[in-house]
Amino acid sequence: MKALTLLAISLLIASHAGAQVLAPGYGTLDYQPPEIGTYHLPPLGTAVDGTVRDTAGQSHHLHELFDGRVVLMGFIYTQCPDMNGCPLASYVMKQVQARLLKTPSLRDQVRLISLSFDPQYDTPKIMKTYAHHFRHPEFDWLFLTTDSEADLAPLLQGYDQWRQKVYQDDGSYSGSMSHILRVYLIDRDRNIRNIYNAGFLHVDTVYNDIQTLLQE
Amino acid sequence: MKTTLIISFCFFLMASVVSWADETCMSPYMAKIEGQEDFVYIWTLGVPGVGDEQDKLVTVDVNPESDHYGRVVASLSVGGRNEAHHTGFTDDRRFLWASGLDTSKIFIFDVYTDPAKPRLHKTIEDFVEKSGGVVGPHTNYALPGRIILTGLSNSEDGSGRTALVEYTNGGQYVATYWMPTDSDLQGAKKSGQFADGYGYDLRVLPRKNLMLTSSFTGFKNYMRELGSVMGDEEAMKAFGNTMVVWDLHAKQPKKVLDVPGAPLEIRCAWDKNHDYCFTSTALTSKVWLVYEDKEGDWQAKAVGDIGDASKIPLPVDISISKDDTRLWVNTWNDGMTRLFDVSDPFNARQIYEKKIGEQVNMVSQSWDGKRVYYTSSLLSKWDKQAPVGPDLQYFKGYNFDGQSLTPTFAIDFIAEGLGAPHQMRFGAYALHGVKAASR
Repeated sequence: MKALTLLAISLLIASHAGAQVLAPGYGTLDYQPPEIGTYHLPPLGTAVDGTVRDTAGQSHHLHELFDGRVVLMGFIYTQCPDMNGCPLASYVMKQVQARLLKTPSLRDQVRLISLSFDPQYDTPKIMKTYAHHFRHPEFDWLFLTTDSEADLAPLLQGYDQWRQKVYQDDGSYSGSMSHILRVYLIDRDRNIRNIYNAGFLHVDTVYNDIQTLLQE
Repeated sequence: MKTTLIISFCFFLMASVVSWADETCMSPYMAKIEGQEDFVYIWTLGVPGVGDEQDKLVTVDVNPESDHYGRVVASLSVGGRNEAHHTGFTDDRRFLWASGLDTSKIFIFDVYTDPAKPRLHKTIEDFVEKSGGVVGPHTNYALPGRIILTGLSNSEDGSGRTALVEYTNGGQYVATYWMPTDSDLQGAKKSGQFADGYGYDLRVLPRKNLMLTSSFTGFKNYMRELGSVMGDEEAMKAFGNTMVVWDLHAKQPKKVLDVPGAPLEIRCAWDKNHDYCFTSTALTSKVWLVYEDKEGDWQAKAVGDIGDASKIPLPVDISISKDDTRLWVNTWNDGMTRLFDVSDPFNARQIYEKKIGEQVNMVSQSWDGKRVYYTSSLLSKWDKQAPVGPDLQYFKGYNFDGQSLTPTFAIDFIAEGLGAPHQMRFGAYALHGVKAASR
């Protein structure tokens, strides 16, 4: 299964490579990132709470799921067609997961969360299927959704995550959304400490940032 | 709605889209307009005796398909004069930050609810206090989820010693990063004679983790009559002579480069193999290149002359093309726009020039480079006062066919009772999923 997933992702990347330049997160970083603990990540505001639902269908407060850990959280939707959008977020978070799995002292101090901003399509069941492609069975990466646009709205506003449904000429929803890719690094006190977008999201920098926060 | 656009990130656009650009002169973290822009938002200085005399955001319809093409469709005054200067969008392009060099106020406009009629969303009035004494917010530059501003001065002595200041997109203060000086290099390497701590513009090359800043002059000079400044030997010594190479991720200064004569606007190349940026120096009238050498170290080199330096043409705004082969350079004093061939970045050659007005400051071009826009104003105390007429304070549009500019429309900002126009930013309905109102 793991091999098949990896192959599928590789083929997906390859099939898009000819038409689109892939984000740096898919490749090797072209510079040496600053060393762990040599820089400061100032707070960028509070990571707000909200009502979410996990892949088992259980309702939670988002803060409850932070569990006092450093959190890496990305907004996604499972039908996202842009390789440099949601698939990039999940790809890089999977790389972070792999590094954490190799570092027992860190793995239980970090929470990974993928939160859908498409409650209409991304049911807990859909999120569970999506999670299979990325979540390692021995890592507690949470894939969450919300019950409604009403539950989602305060989360989008609180995290300043802009997304816009794309409608067809007849006024019907096309199933895709325009959005700015954002992945948030949140400290144990629920402060946002970094925001990554497609040009900025890379496992090397994220992993260093996580360790920099854990050293505080 | 025929406007096409790309909501993406310039990292991808660098190599995947062939494009010109003032669009590409902005932050690479920002949504981009690829096709026809609908509006130009012009941050305009209030002028005594002109209209309501207040600073204002003027919206001009620039879509040739519109019935209002070439006309002012909205004007939003902000109350009083603040030395309106530069503006910048947030990375999601929903808000336009516009700052004042005199009052250090920052006005945040909502440009997405109705792109044809921006509304004032928020005003930051405690920039100096929050930042720890930074004065004169200049460049408003989008980083992921946040804005970083350059200062021009400080509240302690009004000199050019200043800092970078970071805010969230929502307008919450985040941090201040003071420019390195001789007395506190903050770990940066001083590579030449100067480490003046001055600031002006800021650009980034994310692929190289580079943040680059330039330097101008302090409050005591930019809020003083130009003739008075130029006649004061001591005042003329108080202009920036440096650019600073920063670690973008860590926000730490790494190297101070000597670039004498007030290096102003910075424009970085787009090709993934072009690891360099250009600037122009106002006082020495040269094009400078900041580039990464074979050892991976950043260097600065003068690569071209801009007009006759002895006549003080005063280079101001610049704009680089999509393919990194052309650079528009405006010279404020003679009102000329000049096109340089920078195919060889180490040998910038002027290949075209045209007089735009009695004075010319900012230049902005469309994504495809076919439309070029100009405004006239530099600073309230430095602007020319005569000859009064349509070429003194204006917003002008041109078509560019790759060889020459052809005028399309012009708006006299004095005759219209608006003021002195400064920086331009583009807007489009399609960026925000909004249908154009009936044309």
